[in-house]
Amino acid sequence: MPEPSATALSEASDEKPSTTLQHQEKRTGRSPGQVAWDRLKKDKVAIICASIIVFFILVAILAPLLTALQSADPTTGLKADATRTNTDIVDINGLPMQGTSAAHWMGVEPRLGRDLFARWAYGARPSLVIGFVAAAASTMIGVTLGLLAGYLGGVVDRVISWVIDFFLSLPILILIIAIVPIVQKGFAGTGDLTNEETSDIRFWTLIVVLFIFGWMGLARLVRGEVKSLREREFVQAARAIGVPTRQILFREILPNLVGPIIVSASIAVPAYIVYEATLSYLGVGLVEPTASWGRTISDAQSLFSIYPLWLWPPVIGLSLLVLALSLLGDSIRDAFDPSSRR
Amino acid sequence: MLIYILRRLALALSVVLATMVSAFLLFFAAPSDPALALCPESKCPPERLAQISASLGLDRPLRQQFFEYFSGLFVGRDFTYAGDTVHCSAPCLGFSFLTRQSVNDELFSRFPNTVVLAIMAAIVFVTVGVVTGIAAAVRRGTAADRLIVGASQVLGAIPYYVLALLVALYPVILWHVLPQFSPMSEGFGRFLLGLLAPALILGLVTSASYTRYTRNSMLETLSMDYVRTARSKGIPERTVLFQHGFRAAMSPILTILGLDIAYLLTGTLITEQIFGVDGIGRRTIQAFRSQDLPVIMGSVLMTAVIIVVMNLIVDIGYSLVDPRVRLS
Repeated sequence: MPEPSATALSEASDEKPSTTLQHQEKRTGRSPGQVAWDRLKKDKVAIICASIIVFFILVAILAPLLTALQSADPTTGLKADATRTNTDIVDINGLPMQGTSAAHWMGVEPRLGRDLFARWAYGARPSLVIGFVAAAASTMIGVTLGLLAGYLGGVVDRVISWVIDFFLSLPILILIIAIVPIVQKGFAGTGDLTNEETSDIRFWTLIVVLFIFGWMGLARLVRGEVKSLREREFVQAARAIGVPTRQILFREILPNLVGPIIVSASIAVPAYIVYEATLSYLGVGLVEPTASWGRTISDAQSLFSIYPLWLWPPVIGLSLLVLALSLLGDSIRDAFDPSSRR
Repeated sequence: MLIYILRRLALALSVVLATMVSAFLLFFAAPSDPALALCPESKCPPERLAQISASLGLDRPLRQQFFEYFSGLFVGRDFTYAGDTVHCSAPCLGFSFLTRQSVNDELFSRFPNTVVLAIMAAIVFVTVGVVTGIAAAVRRGTAADRLIVGASQVLGAIPYYVLALLVALYPVILWHVLPQFSPMSEGFGRFLLGLLAPALILGLVTSASYTRYTRNSMLETLSMDYVRTARSKGIPERTVLFQHGFRAAMSPILTILGLDIAYLLTGTLITEQIFGVDGIGRRTIQAFRSQDLPVIMGSVLMTAVIIVVMNLIVDIGYSLVDPRVRLS
């Protein structure tokens, strides 16, 4: 947005601060982003949610370190990691012979005897990466197509709008389930792959499929906004003095859409995380040996009444992370929404 | 008005056609092999595999399969299987690779289960959502309002399938507080009771967004001039709220309701899978596991048609109510 007052303000605040200047600061306009940021910093719910999210990001990054904090397993003398199986500590029915201990803070997995704390800590990784990467990618697609449709109008607009309508009337969940194996085959080719390679390919497949089906809402929103913005005086003026189209799009129009774009992206992150977990539950999400909360929940459901320790940590991790992300998204939306100004 | 309806109709038709073609290309042309799924690779001799492929019609050229599928859809077609010829009348969705049942029967026999679940869930979320939404709007800014809004935010933010799974595991399977699903053939009363748990959880979670829609819509309506006029004329507050406020506030909510019901009718995959409700969604997931292409195609087409038709009804209905829509 052309915001001369903001630059004037920053220049002014470089000078010696005086009471008159501070008074002026209150009256001169701040950009919508600054207003929202200030309101967000005062929102207690937003702060709590942000801390929870930071906690999970730290768990994901520091997963190897946190796992190494556990003491070595007494039967093998080795420190646990996310993939090592240890069938010596499960009985003949596959049930673990020990509960929580210094070596296994969350116990061990039935049947395979893998360390559940390591699986939990590493399990935060795919959720977060899928959520943020897919949200970033779908936001970029949505913004680009929305800008093109709204600004160019005519045939381009009609084609893009039709594609949006088309995608919106598709049964998304069914299609995602159907497409994942197909994209997987496309990526993997026909060669024989190890489990780890298959698992990695599935991970990227999920991201691609999720953002391919996730951009329509934002594209429609941006298109509508751009259509009205392009008729506004400052855009007309820029066009009249011969500013190139690219510059009009990125310097004049896009800055006005920062609010809705950030809001939509922040709501998309938890949505994708839930999608990943749901798909893993339905059997088309992440595959072994990648640690994933959705997969663990799906596996643990078979023994939930005998061994709840397997089910609950990922349930709590997933719920808490998604809850925090969604509520933060709500707070961001309120912060950008002028009508909720108190 | 007629032009608007015709344009909407053309758009809807083009979307349905595009879905059909792209779904066909996606599934039949894709590198999946249903014959392999029927006969696992390790113990399947190649000639047996080829035989299965031939009996499923997968060995013929793609163009021919495409033509046969779509002629079946519009005029019906004949199937030859093990020497018998079976006629399948339009709209023919083919026969399941796995069960050899007609896909139409497979899907339509399960449709009532999905419909009843959708209706029960809709009753729950409309009642709960609208009542709490109005209650919050009337008490705007009080502790009760904040409680309702906060609760709806939290409910809407927890991953749905985790919540549904916990309800299915603990109250239904472990504690037997709520009965499990039983098919309609074993008595309609038991059938309805069995759908109580999935309908309640699906309805409650969906109601979260209705609470917020209703509250916002009510607040907007109540701040209108005509509501102030009504109040200043001395009309009782109850009448103002329900006659003047509620009726006007409901029209945007009806739009969303139409679309939500369309999505529910397409089979609530997750709910049906978790609670073992034998509806279209669950059948579709089974079809995916066995790569049963005709059933997958059939359910994709059916859901696309339901969504497009509901969209059309909502749009046309809305344009009848609100003439401004027609101009855009």
